[in-house]
Amino acid sequence: MDLPSQLLANPDALILDLVANSREAVLCRLHEQLAGCPGVKDAPAFLHSLRERAMLAPVCIAPDVALPHARTAAVNRVVLGVARLAVPGVGFDAEHPQVRLVFMVGTPQASVEDHLLAVAAITRLLQPEGRRAGLLAARTEAEFRALLARGSQR
Amino acid sequence: MSAATDPATLLLKRLQRLLRWRLWAQEKLQLTDWQVTLLWAALAGFLGSLSSLIFSALAEGVHEVMTGSSAGVVESMRHLPWWGCLLVPMLGGAAAGLVLHYGQHLTRAQSSTDYMEAIAIGNGRIPVRASLVKSTAALFSIGSGGSIGREGPMVQLAAVVASMLGRWRLFTGPQLRLLVACGASAGIASAYNAPIAGSFFVAEIILGSIAMESLGPLAVSAVVATLTIRVLTSAQVMYHVPAFQLNSAWEMGPYVGLGLVMGSLAPAFLRSLRQSEEFFLALRLPLVARLALGGLAVGVMAINVPQVCGNGYSVVVQILNGPVVWKVLLGVFACKWLATMASFGSGAPGGVFTPSLFMGASAGYLFGAAVHAVWPSGAVNPGAFALVGMGAFLAAASRAPVMAIILLFEMTLSYDIILPLMLCSVIAYYTAKGIQGGSLYSEALRRKAAAEPVPVLPVGQVEDLMQAHPPVLASTARFAEIAQRFLSVRVNNLYVCAEGGRFLGAVSLHDIKPYLGDLDLAELVIARDILHEDFPRIGPQQSLSDALGLFLAHPVERLPVVDPATGTLLGSLPKTELLLALVEKRRQTVG
Repeated sequence: MDLPSQLLANPDALILDLVANSREAVLCRLHEQLAGCPGVKDAPAFLHSLRERAMLAPVCIAPDVALPHARTAAVNRVVLGVARLAVPGVGFDAEHPQVRLVFMVGTPQASVEDHLLAVAAITRLLQPEGRRAGLLAARTEAEFRALLARGSQR
Repeated sequence: MSAATDPATLLLKRLQRLLRWRLWAQEKLQLTDWQVTLLWAALAGFLGSLSSLIFSALAEGVHEVMTGSSAGVVESMRHLPWWGCLLVPMLGGAAAGLVLHYGQHLTRAQSSTDYMEAIAIGNGRIPVRASLVKSTAALFSIGSGGSIGREGPMVQLAAVVASMLGRWRLFTGPQLRLLVACGASAGIASAYNAPIAGSFFVAEIILGSIAMESLGPLAVSAVVATLTIRVLTSAQVMYHVPAFQLNSAWEMGPYVGLGLVMGSLAPAFLRSLRQSEEFFLALRLPLVARLALGGLAVGVMAINVPQVCGNGYSVVVQILNGPVVWKVLLGVFACKWLATMASFGSGAPGGVFTPSLFMGASAGYLFGAAVHAVWPSGAVNPGAFALVGMGAFLAAASRAPVMAIILLFEMTLSYDIILPLMLCSVIAYYTAKGIQGGSLYSEALRRKAAAEPVPVLPVGQVEDLMQAHPPVLASTARFAEIAQRFLSVRVNNLYVCAEGGRFLGAVSLHDIKPYLGDLDLAELVIARDILHEDFPRIGPQQSLSDALGLFLAHPVERLPVVDPATGTLLGSLPKTELLLALVEKRRQTVG
């Protein structure tokens, strides 16, 4: 199984219908979930990298989708955390006031190719018509995971 | 992500597709630095051949005006009255002197015009005005029948044109030297209709290397020049010779003897030219008078022996196609030697390459005739000895046996003679080398190198070859901007700098290529996300061997040059520049 399929089929963290009132709260919550996974060796540094990267340029790819990502020495393999926020969503920046899907990606510092691979896999996952709507409407975690896995096989 | 029917999205998609296609096309069709060098070499070859044609036409025009005849130099002099034979070369020498004298006012501050110096020990810059003055003077010395070759100025002009081209394009030192070498190669190829010899002449004599890094552009330039000459004129094989054959293996014995004779004669010829130069200088005459005296000396001999005039081409054709009366040839040989000493020694601008061919042909014929007289089966055809003698004499005088063999073959297209030619040229080369260290050209180069001991060549540090202002990206540059920059500049890696110019790393075209169709990445990914922080870099004070080590360890075409103290990006070091510099360095070491 290639890296994108592996990642999307088995995200390191998954939170559905997360209730949060700010971008920072979303990042912290998802980061907490990821912190325990074996790929993250320095959780605070990972969070710091994500924040630093988000300050440099927007990380949203659609009005309701954010993809905070960072290449960092704080992880030793590609890690992925996915969150679906409860309605009405959270504002990530002025242009994206109602983000509901968040994909958090961390990639080892030296893995430029893997970083592009992971980020591109997520954007491609969401491209097909109805895919986002399906993820937002998924009633169970199993249904959500199935949609992610199906997207990885395109 | 917008709806697929959104016009803005559709337009963006189209643009993205176009961008991806352009990048693919650019990558597939992208010219490497070496390929670009070949294109410039071709242009230098084309322009060099045109300048050769123009010079040749002007020289013939001057000759026609001065002698009233459009026939060859020897034929024109033959039909002149005795006072005409005296007057024409003398006036030609005086005119050349006047041009040089008054030309000095225009070119006083300019450095040496010698193309060999510009390539071998200079920076590739040949002063244009000074070269034009010298070439104009050469028109008079050649057009008036001076015993000197027109090929020298033709090569010089082709090299000047290449130098101007390189300076206009702001070429760096090694690039400019290589382009000037291409010009010289084109000049030789144009003059002798010999592209292979043109390339090897420059590679073997001036560069001292036949590495493909330099030989490739030289060959391209020479081929383009030869093609241009062939298209614009009816130029064909330079010397039409009868079919020669080796009648028996025993003939190789006399050829060995010919090699020894030529190897001894060539250094004597070169020494006599140098002594003649010293003699004329010792007279302390004004330049105009000195050149007029040289012309007069040629004219005195031309009254009875008009064959001394010109570069000797027509006489060589006669010798090769024989038969020739050996006593007459001996007289012509002696007079031609003296005439060349007079022209060269007085400072008449021109070359001695073709006169050297004459010396070899006549000496070879005389040797063959002598052997034939005592042992007919040992030298069945003295004309064959003349042909082999030309190559052997040239090999000994120029210390470039490979070039000499190739040139003779190209000028005659006579393959039958190749075995004795190779043997004889090599023997002559080693004989001459044993007698005297220098050559027709290396002597001049050594003298000039001694006069200018500080080389302009890179002294071995990266900063000497560094190119300023490499293409740079900000760390926050978006994916779309990065792709656009790769389209606009021909590099495989773009350097990324922080504010203030601190080098952060490089973004690789190889990395982003598979994702050019991903619209969502255009705004999501920035340079910092795909930065290779460990990209190799080098300091300006580091040695070129350090740079070579990095190039060997990393498959990159350029290295960023970074100030080790501040981390600031200062420029880049292209691999092509380094290789050219190393080729030159090697030549210096060997030389």
